Amino acid sequence: MDGTWTVTESTLAGPVPDTLKIVVAGGFGAGKTTLVASLSETEALHTEERMTSISVGVDDLEGVEDKTTTTVALDFGRITLDPTTVVYLFGTPGQRRFSYMWEELVQGALGAVVLADTRRLADSFDSIDFFESRAVPFVVAVNCFDGHSTHRPEDVRTALDVSQHVPVLLCDARRRDSAKEVLAQLVSLVLRLAQADT
Amino acid sequence: MSAHDEEWPPDADLMRPYSLTGGRTRPSRTDLALTAQVVSVPGSLPSGADPELELIVSLCVHPLSVAEVASRAGLPLGVTRVLLADLADRGCVVVHTSSWEYRRPDTATLRSVLERIREL
Ligand SMILES: Nc1nc2c(ncn2[C@@H]2O[C@H](COP(=O)(O)OP(=O)(O)O)[C@@H](O)[C@H]2O)c(=O)[nH]1
Ligand SMILES: [Mg+2]
Repeated sequence: MDGTWTVTESTLAGPVPDTLKIVVAGGFGAGKTTLVASLSETEALHTEERMTSISVGVDDLEGVEDKTTTTVALDFGRITLDPTTVVYLFGTPGQRRFSYMWEELVQGALGAVVLADTRRLADSFDSIDFFESRAVPFVVAVNCFDGHSTHRPEDVRTALDVSQHVPVLLCDARRRDSAKEVLAQLVSLVLRLAQADT
Repeated sequence: MSAHDEEWPPDADLMRPYSLTGGRTRPSRTDLALTAQVVSVPGSLPSGADPELELIVSLCVHPLSVAEVASRAGLPLGVTRVLLADLADRGCVVVHTSSWEYRRPDTATLRSVLERIREL
């Protein structure tokens, strides 16, 4: 992974931006697509992939798009910070059984947002375990579906058993300013980690 | 969600694009990360090429990520990668890997990214 990166200069079409990738995870219905859409400068984009090596097992989640097909969907959005820096946000597809897609998403990712739905906190365990095991920096954004949170961030932290250095914040994924704050908290975390390393 | 269901081709339609690749599901190169930027080389694609290739080359007149190429061409990601790899091998597109694909941005970059996010 180290030392092999190269930058190709192009004189063909002006500056080619460097890209940053941020992964947005969480259980079904936790607000991943909503968060990506709130932040994206384009209408939310999506692409899909045919799965060839997945055995579809019992799915206890209602309404999952890929329940009866072998197609896995990827939502993503784009934020151009300046002509040379573009951030891409990718919602994780479905469940961990699409693990090759998850592996690809964390490859080179700056960090991740785990959306936690207070009604179904356990749905975010899978994402948290995954990012912890891949050493991907992440923040937990608690989506307040009832408009006011009945949970305090510290209670959620305890319930999810995430370490003190993982930021846990309340958010409303539908609101751009709230979604922006989530992103800012993640980049602040990565900055702190980078400072600690130098 | 329902908009997705309407827009997205059913699975059977996803079979057809793989015929474009001659059944190949793996690209001939490994630099086609989701966020890698693709730029076309003007005038490099011979006329009479597959319409899908022409579409991809026309989409990449300005730098476009691999994921966006797939999305805008309406092709599955795997098919898009195989076609992009062919185009790159033929010199019709250039693939740019982000400086940050294999290492974290330095603190100065992160600070400026943070500032710009706050300004959004
Ligand atoms: N009240 C409330 N509803 C939300 C919030 N975020 C998402 N939703 C709604 O919850 C539903 C599921 O969100 P979606 O983004 O599709 O979840 P995904 O499955 O994680 O992509 C949608 O109807 C959203 O409008 C939020 O912060 N508050
Ligand atoms: Mg979704």
